[in-house]
Amino acid sequence: MPLARNLLLYLLATLIAPTVIAVDFERDVAPIFITRCLECHQGSEPSGGLLLTSEAGLSKGGKSGDAIREKLLERVRAGEMPPEKQGRSQRLPAKEIAVLERWIEAGANWPDQRTLDWFERTTRYRAGRDWWSLQPIKRPEAPSVKISGNAVHPIDAFVMNKLQQAGMKPAPRANKRVLLRRLHYSLTGLSPTREQLDQFVADDSPKAWENAIEELLASPHYGERWARYWLDIARFAETSGYERDQEKPYAWRYRDWVVKAFNDDMPFRRFILEQLAGDEIDARSEQSVVATGFLRLGAWNDEPNIPADYEYDRLEDIVHTTSSAFLGLTVKCARCHNHKFDPILQEDYYRMGSAFWPGPIAARSGGLLGGPTTNELGYDKVLGWTDISAKPRPLHLLKNGERLHPRKQVAPASLSSIPSLERRFDPPPDGAKTTGRRLQLAKWIADPDNPLTARVLVNRIWQHHFGRAIVRTPNNFGFLADPPTHPDLLDWLAAEFLSSGGSIKHLHRLILRSETWRQSSLHPQREEYSVRDSGNRLWWRAERRRLDAEALRDSMLQATAELDLTLGGPSFKPTISPEALEGLSRKSSAWKASPVEKQNRRSLYIYMKRGLLPPMMTTFDLCDTTLSCGERDVTTVPTQALALLNNAFVHRRSEYLAGKLTDDFATAEERIEQAWTSILKREPKRDELLLAHRHLNVQRDAFDRQAGVDALAPKMSMHLRADQAKTRRNEGQVESITDISGNGRHAFQKREDRQPVLNPNGFGGRPTIEFSKRDYLDVNGSPMKGQYATIICVANDHGPPGHREIISNWRRGENVGSSVFLGLTAENTVRFCDVFNKAGTIPNRDRPFILTAVNGEHLAAVYHNGRLLKSQSNPLRTRKLDTPWVIGQQGNINGEFWQGGIAEIRVYDGALDRHERRTVERELAERYEIELPDAHSGKKRSSEFLALASLCHVLLNSNEFIFID
Amino acid sequence: MNNSKSMFPCGRSRRREFVWEMGGGFTGLALASLLAGDRFFSGRARASTSNPLNPRATQLKTKAKSCIFLMMNGAPSQVDLFDHKPELEKYSGKQLPADKEYINSGNRKVGYLTPAWRKFRPGGQSGLMISDYFPMVRNHADKLCVLNSCHTDSHAHGSALVAMNTGKTLIGRPSLGSWAVYGLGTENENLPGYVTILDKRGGPISGQPNWSSGFMPATYAGTLFRPVGDPILDLKGPRHLSRQAQRQQLDLLAELNQRHLSARPGAADLASRISSYELAYRMQSATPEAVDLAQESRQTLDLYGIGKQPTDEYGRNCLIARRLVERGVRFIQLYSGGGHLEETWDAHAGIESNHGRHGAEVDQPISALLTDLEQRGLLEETLVVWGGEFGRMPFSEGKNAPGRNHNPYGFSMWLAGGGVKGGIKYGETDEFGFESMTNKVHLHDLHATILHLMGLDHETLTYFHQGRDESLTDVGGNVIGDVLA
Repeated sequence: MPLARNLLLYLLATLIAPTVIAVDFERDVAPIFITRCLECHQGSEPSGGLLLTSEAGLSKGGKSGDAIREKLLERVRAGEMPPEKQGRSQRLPAKEIAVLERWIEAGANWPDQRTLDWFERTTRYRAGRDWWSLQPIKRPEAPSVKISGNAVHPIDAFVMNKLQQAGMKPAPRANKRVLLRRLHYSLTGLSPTREQLDQFVADDSPKAWENAIEELLASPHYGERWARYWLDIARFAETSGYERDQEKPYAWRYRDWVVKAFNDDMPFRRFILEQLAGDEIDARSEQSVVATGFLRLGAWNDEPNIPADYEYDRLEDIVHTTSSAFLGLTVKCARCHNHKFDPILQEDYYRMGSAFWPGPIAARSGGLLGGPTTNELGYDKVLGWTDISAKPRPLHLLKNGERLHPRKQVAPASLSSIPSLERRFDPPPDGAKTTGRRLQLAKWIADPDNPLTARVLVNRIWQHHFGRAIVRTPNNFGFLADPPTHPDLLDWLAAEFLSSGGSIKHLHRLILRSETWRQSSLHPQREEYSVRDSGNRLWWRAERRRLDAEALRDSMLQATAELDLTLGGPSFKPTISPEALEGLSRKSSAWKASPVEKQNRRSLYIYMKRGLLPPMMTTFDLCDTTLSCGERDVTTVPTQALALLNNAFVHRRSEYLAGKLTDDFATAEERIEQAWTSILKREPKRDELLLAHRHLNVQRDAFDRQAGVDALAPKMSMHLRADQAKTRRNEGQVESITDISGNGRHAFQKREDRQPVLNPNGFGGRPTIEFSKRDYLDVNGSPMKGQYATIICVANDHGPPGHREIISNWRRGENVGSSVFLGLTAENTVRFCDVFNKAGTIPNRDRPFILTAVNGEHLAAVYHNGRLLKSQSNPLRTRKLDTPWVIGQQGNINGEFWQGGIAEIRVYDGALDRHERRTVERELAERYEIELPDAHSGKKRSSEFLALASLCHVLLNSNEFIFID
Repeated sequence: MNNSKSMFPCGRSRRREFVWEMGGGFTGLALASLLAGDRFFSGRARASTSNPLNPRATQLKTKAKSCIFLMMNGAPSQVDLFDHKPELEKYSGKQLPADKEYINSGNRKVGYLTPAWRKFRPGGQSGLMISDYFPMVRNHADKLCVLNSCHTDSHAHGSALVAMNTGKTLIGRPSLGSWAVYGLGTENENLPGYVTILDKRGGPISGQPNWSSGFMPATYAGTLFRPVGDPILDLKGPRHLSRQAQRQQLDLLAELNQRHLSARPGAADLASRISSYELAYRMQSATPEAVDLAQESRQTLDLYGIGKQPTDEYGRNCLIARRLVERGVRFIQLYSGGGHLEETWDAHAGIESNHGRHGAEVDQPISALLTDLEQRGLLEETLVVWGGEFGRMPFSEGKNAPGRNHNPYGFSMWLAGGGVKGGIKYGETDEFGFESMTNKVHLHDLHATILHLMGLDHETLTYFHQGRDESLTDVGGNVIGDVLA
């Protein structure tokens, strides 16, 4: 049947049509030229010299000079024109050939003065200047729809209208708990507490919803949430990338500027002007110059192959980011040629580029990191942008984008895509410091008549509230964009936004008060509807959403009440496991984690290093920082499950919460209930309670069974304990101590005048060996088997000023600068080898304490009572282990004697990991009644505690925690 | 731009048309997966379709199912290894003719033409000339397809490494392995599809962007595998949580998630997250198993030089690569050299000292890999690629200086197995070994050829991103037909 119909059409077209329908140039011929020919046959260098935009061009013909009309027909008939593309014939359909035949036969009439423009209209293949997103915004009337009851919110009217046309109904309103949780995440990226939820559920006042919205919009955490979306768009990171990946100092001030702009509801016009031209505006201030950091955030290569080419790559980065962010246009596609799909001329690319060309784009001193000098910028400690000359080098259009083929010089101007707004940029007044081009570009973008700017922005706001945008390609409103699901709604929102003076908070209020936003993510007719509209393009229900990387991490810290809500300031570096650091070419120096107490801040404040984005965050789809990102991927992959199941960060949270619950609540019931309250913000149901109980019991029994085994014992290479001392004639002078690790590293002292004394009632009622005057012990062989080892001692000190050692193999002439020793300095600071020679003082040193020294592949560190004194993320330089070892003095110098008690010295082969070290320290602390400073570390990690942590851990992994309904 | 394709290369068509064009070559499932990974289609469709790593039919009928890329980080010297230039003897002590233009990377001293530091000898039936830095690899000469005419776009390690891995000198694009996994999926869902093993001395310059998935989902990024201990991050929890204890956790989690799901019927996103936990649980045993060399015979370990120096580390990595290939991993990259300068193949301080050291580390392991793959019948379906990010100059860095500077204008790489012709040389540099002259192989050509051998067409394997159908080779690249078996 289709074949027969095509045949019929063909016959109609070729036989019947010519006799009955006259060919009309505008209607029939122009579209063929525009669609099929003009891509090549236009402009100043038309293909084959043949210009097909005007009658003159057609008449003149191409280089071959034949009678052009006949020649044209001949080549089109032969399928030579249009030429094949990538191996595929572009031969015109017979119908179009017939049109050309009839047109030429009839005299090839071309209306006077008519010039064809490739961009004048949208074709099957590309967008013209009539493309929808380039047309003025006209505020549409909200359709009148019938919904029982109250006045219909305009957003709902637009959505209902389409649903009703499709014969569909929206989902019912979600319940109040779901709504408040959704609202909190939507506006602040944080969870409400159980109390907030309960209160809201109980609040029947008509204003409850509005109040909740207002309260959150006023919260400083609102700006933190919404700034993050903008930072993705601005390709925010704090380093340059590439080999050296240098820090870009003060990038964080730009981040804080964005947060404040959202919190202050900065009018969008100013938001644009400050970021693109904060140095050029009348109200220039340090803050507005900080905003120009937008132009500085891109990756920057200090060692490009050809620096002159690299200028153009940098230009593309800035043009692309600017046009994607504010206009939703892929202007960068016009770097080498006119845009393939959108009405953007190659010249447009360079026009826009000319705004940034006067900046510090050419290679200069590497220390400037591609930016202006402090002097040029006018501010210190600001990562900003400014023109470095008011009379910059000319910028030429480059044939095929190649630097060595410059064409005409391009005059700075706006894009030509919207003819009514097209304008040249004025030259700067005499004496101006900058060209003023960026300010003019910014004003052009911010012009209320520029239809792209408001549409693109309202689309983004919608996107982050609903999970999907109205135009589902938020950085692209061109031909390849997904068409808007609700064009009228988009324009209505844009018009509202403009009439509110560019208030983003106004948009939030509009959206959040709509019923469309408040729908449930469940629908009674889901099965039917998900077949009819699987993409939910009609918005018949809310989209369930997985917490993004930031919200997930923040929520975990929030659930355990550890989240540090300090606002702004320099970023922190989270601890990244040594395994994850292996990708760096400079492993040891490239990443120094911030102090642990700074690490519980919101994820917004994580230091963004291009060469090392935090693995936990990228696993959960944190986007790459090189290109502007309008929408993150949302993936579900097993590595996410691995991260949540096993990553130390998650376990620390569960154990912290378990510790708190153990402290605060006595019974298992209460602890379970509180675990549910903290993590899921509700009380457990009966059957959940039973499941939780069972889990606690099973896990406790399993951990009990394991606890009997001291897993670390086989790792010990020396274990000296005072209760193993043999004394002379049982009078107290210590002759030897047996190494109970079984490695034969016994300690001994044959000289009676040098023997320390056993104190059977030393620390916590347990024996110690007291060293005074010039007492010490020799060790039989080396307690360390290899370079990597952990030394843990329990001792106290009443030493006089002066160095003094617990253990050492220093030896004059043989082992200077490569020995191992652990002790105190004259300033009463801890020292471990000559690397940590002043690691920090220890309080109350005459009371017993635990000193731990670790040397491992990725960490060398010293701890006092489990508290880090000093560390480095690479091992100590190679140690010489074969000189004689002694306890209680510095090697063979006959000096630096220990004055105090030593109860125990353990040496483990290899670096113990954090958990292992803590296990040993806790065991020793308990044994010798030493209080460890960390609030929960003193608590025995009983099987009961670990079982509770296991339960918390399961809840942190649950879908209920991770998804927002 | 080294080809004559359309001068308007950006984007080809609207996506729907692309799908229509491709229809014949993909299975329905593959098509769905391909589209699911595409931003043109809705995220919902993405979430509810099958695992993006599911195996897909190839576009082309070719042989290689997997690729092992032996990355000689730091840039080995072609005239000392695989590009035999006896003429250099004649020119020894002279300067490179002045009409040869180049960028003097790092503004180093420019010295005199210097012949190979070790002797070249013929190998195998083919008599391919290979130097004494690779005596054992030379025994496999008849398997090798040596590309002597490679050239690239940067003289600096940072951007050249990124180019060799992603096609462009600018960071931010998906790497070769990501394209392979995006195009083909993986045949073992318990293991990552794309594995990168770094040298213990450190990562390559520029780090993560070398194995990044760029603008594609992170699913397609290379997974760093550690050759000892737990191969991937977060594979094990704290010590006290035994496998049984973790099973208890997963069972409780499944119970809670099931209750949550039953109140939300039809939620594909929730269901797929539930199943991802079971997959993760299996990965915890499958990945350590894959790197567990205790399962290998003494004979095999000896073949790779495992347990002796200096071959132990690279030997392990090569053997692990073979085990991963057997287990269906699609793309494996093994770095030789890590960190900076002499810790890599970056032989500024001396070819003999540097290449002597690194050659000795990798010669036996690479030779063993080729032997082992062949013996197991895997070489036919495994493409082995050897090379660095660029080459080195034929002249020294000063009078009698023993090292050579960077050279992106001409260098050598080789391919073996996976459907390439063995025992051949392709392309030539000039008489000095300085720049590629005949049958030039740009890195786009190399990438196009690698994809082709793996059954993928570099022109139609595209990913739609920000208004453009992006591809690995962008506007360049031709498959080198002459090297295909």
